[in-house]
Amino acid sequence: MSTRDVVKKRVSRFKNKGKDLAKLREKRVSECVELRKAQKNESFLKRRNIILSSLPDEEAFSPEQNDTLSFRIEDIIRDVNSNDREAQTRGCQAARKLLSKGNDPPLKEIVDAGLLSQFVSFLSMDDEPTLQFEAAWALTNIASGNSWHTHQVVQHGAVPALINLLASPMLHISEQAVWALGNIAGDGPGYRDILIECKVIPALLACISPDTPVGYLRNLTWTLSNLCRNKMPCPPLSAVQQMLPSLIQLLHLSDKNILSDACWAISYLSDGSNDRIDVVVKTGIVPRLVELMNRKELFILTPALRAIGNIVSGSDLHTQMTIDAGVLNVLPKLLRHPKPTVQKEAAWALSNIAAGPCKQIQQLITCGLLPPLVEVLRNGDFKTQKEAVWAVTNFTSGGTVEQVVSLVQSGALEAIINLLQVKDAKVILIILEAINNMFIAAEKLGETEKLSLLIEELGGLERIEMLQNHENGIVYQAAHDLIEKYFNDGDVEEVQVDSTQTGFEFKAPDVQKKFEF
Amino acid sequence: MSMSQTPEPSSDGATVTEEATITTPEKEKKADEVVEEEEEEEEYVVEKVLNRRVVKGKVEYLLKWKGFSNEDNTWEPEENLDCPDLIAEYLQKQKSANEGKRKAPGEADGDESKSKKKKEDQNEKLRGFARGLEPERIIGATDSTGELMFLMKWKHSDEADLVPAKEANVKCPQVVISFYEERLTWHSYPSEDEKKDDKN
Repeated sequence: MSTRDVVKKRVSRFKNKGKDLAKLREKRVSECVELRKAQKNESFLKRRNIILSSLPDEEAFSPEQNDTLSFRIEDIIRDVNSNDREAQTRGCQAARKLLSKGNDPPLKEIVDAGLLSQFVSFLSMDDEPTLQFEAAWALTNIASGNSWHTHQVVQHGAVPALINLLASPMLHISEQAVWALGNIAGDGPGYRDILIECKVIPALLACISPDTPVGYLRNLTWTLSNLCRNKMPCPPLSAVQQMLPSLIQLLHLSDKNILSDACWAISYLSDGSNDRIDVVVKTGIVPRLVELMNRKELFILTPALRAIGNIVSGSDLHTQMTIDAGVLNVLPKLLRHPKPTVQKEAAWALSNIAAGPCKQIQQLITCGLLPPLVEVLRNGDFKTQKEAVWAVTNFTSGGTVEQVVSLVQSGALEAIINLLQVKDAKVILIILEAINNMFIAAEKLGETEKLSLLIEELGGLERIEMLQNHENGIVYQAAHDLIEKYFNDGDVEEVQVDSTQTGFEFKAPDVQKKFEF
Repeated sequence: MSMSQTPEPSSDGATVTEEATITTPEKEKKADEVVEEEEEEEEYVVEKVLNRRVVKGKVEYLLKWKGFSNEDNTWEPEENLDCPDLIAEYLQKQKSANEGKRKAPGEADGDESKSKKKKEDQNEKLRGFARGLEPERIIGATDSTGELMFLMKWKHSDEADLVPAKEANVKCPQVVISFYEERLTWHSYPSEDEKKDDKN
């Protein structure tokens, strides 16, 4: 037998041969943990002078009780307040682990134990990176609680120390500081603006480089989004302008989580007055947003759609930019999306585009937005239908006569008539307004009678008549006015509408344009 | 011609004027129809359009006359009027009461990103160097994946994972060297001298 064979044979008998290295380690670790747990339980029981057999089974084996917690916190306090670095690290880490628990971490207990001052002081110990890291993590989790918790963290002076940590050469420490600051910014406009005043933005932006790991960038993007978040007041314009170029960069990456949070940031920034929207669209980001709106991942398309929805609530120019970027090709798809909130947001965006000039309304028709609009009017959930009704009314208000005719021919009139039976008074009023606008258009063609007949055929007259008994006075009045104006059988004359009507400079349409159902 | 949101001058190039005049209709085609209004030589100037109604299928506007009080407001058929911009202004006001752009209704129905996040464990989804941690030491090696991988223990983490040796060699060469050094073994073979000794 050759030497090699002998060696092979011996090695093949070795117990761990052929086993996955990682799995072996896992097994060793879990065995260790079991031993440790058992040892811990034993020492607890010893401390309490309890003999195992005298206890009911549950108590003997569950270490997760309140007095155990206070034991642990006592130990932590002792360790953290000592002058021994090792003890401090041990204590801080123990606190961090408690605070990282899945269910109900003891945030208040840790705060009440008076540990925050020490944690904050640990943040500046550049010669003790482990301590810095544990303290930053612990503070992150406390700041992740409610406003009171976050307030405690800030009150103990964490902010400047955390901002300094952003420059730490240890990436995981810097990242932890990013996270903690994100939680503080997320509390509301107050702390957000305090952070901005403390110059957090340049410090954060300095952390972005081509080598920055994806995980770090995810946290950073999220923190930036919180700095863009909240209104009353909106973030200072100067801060927004500082952050925008980096946000645009992040929006062109491929990591999905980064894209999602970057879109949220843009959606916050575009949620406001038209000059805020202007700042956003001037970056040229609109085409990318439309692209992201087209993604299948819900957590990306939702904020992208929200951002676009905000932009089309701006000026006609802003809206035109979205149209030029192809938004009308994506909206039909979203109006048919399986998730109702997506449909609703898409319908809202559509309603705002329909509130634009007739040139844009024409683009709606050309790009086939009418069929899906009618579909949601018929089948959408109520919130979506409400937005769709707004779209119809806006359409009838800003549209040309021909455009309104197209709308009626698409089935929208029938659909909104069917919605007259809802309980929501506002919706009813908007529908009545749409019908009124349709009559105004019909007048120009001399076809108000035809329209009245059509509405009657579709069951609309009946519904409007019933609305005259509606509890809401404005609804009653509006329904009544409509009946009076257009449905009174009394002296109906053949109305010849002059093509030389000077009021509107209206050119008589060709014979085709009628309210043919 | 369309009813857009911003008042536009009429397409035939007529000038937009604040005031408008009413003159007795000259090109009235309905010669048999009695003109309701008095045919006066004077011109009255419309100050503002206040309201709109439809009577017997005809559109009429309530007008405020310049130089007259509100008590003298009258309803006039629209075909008699020559103040398109005032009418457009009135219609525009009616429109913006209910229509026009509507801003976001508020929070996006619970779909929004979390405002605060608790950190539960260390970078759960990322692996290897992407976790951004500092290498502590290599505790194992394997090539079962086809390329040589090191099992890396990271500082400040209990979770070790695999990294390609190629990457580790560049990013933390000293750690790699330590790993190899720790595992150097020397194999001794009998030398010529020892053989001679054995024979004795």
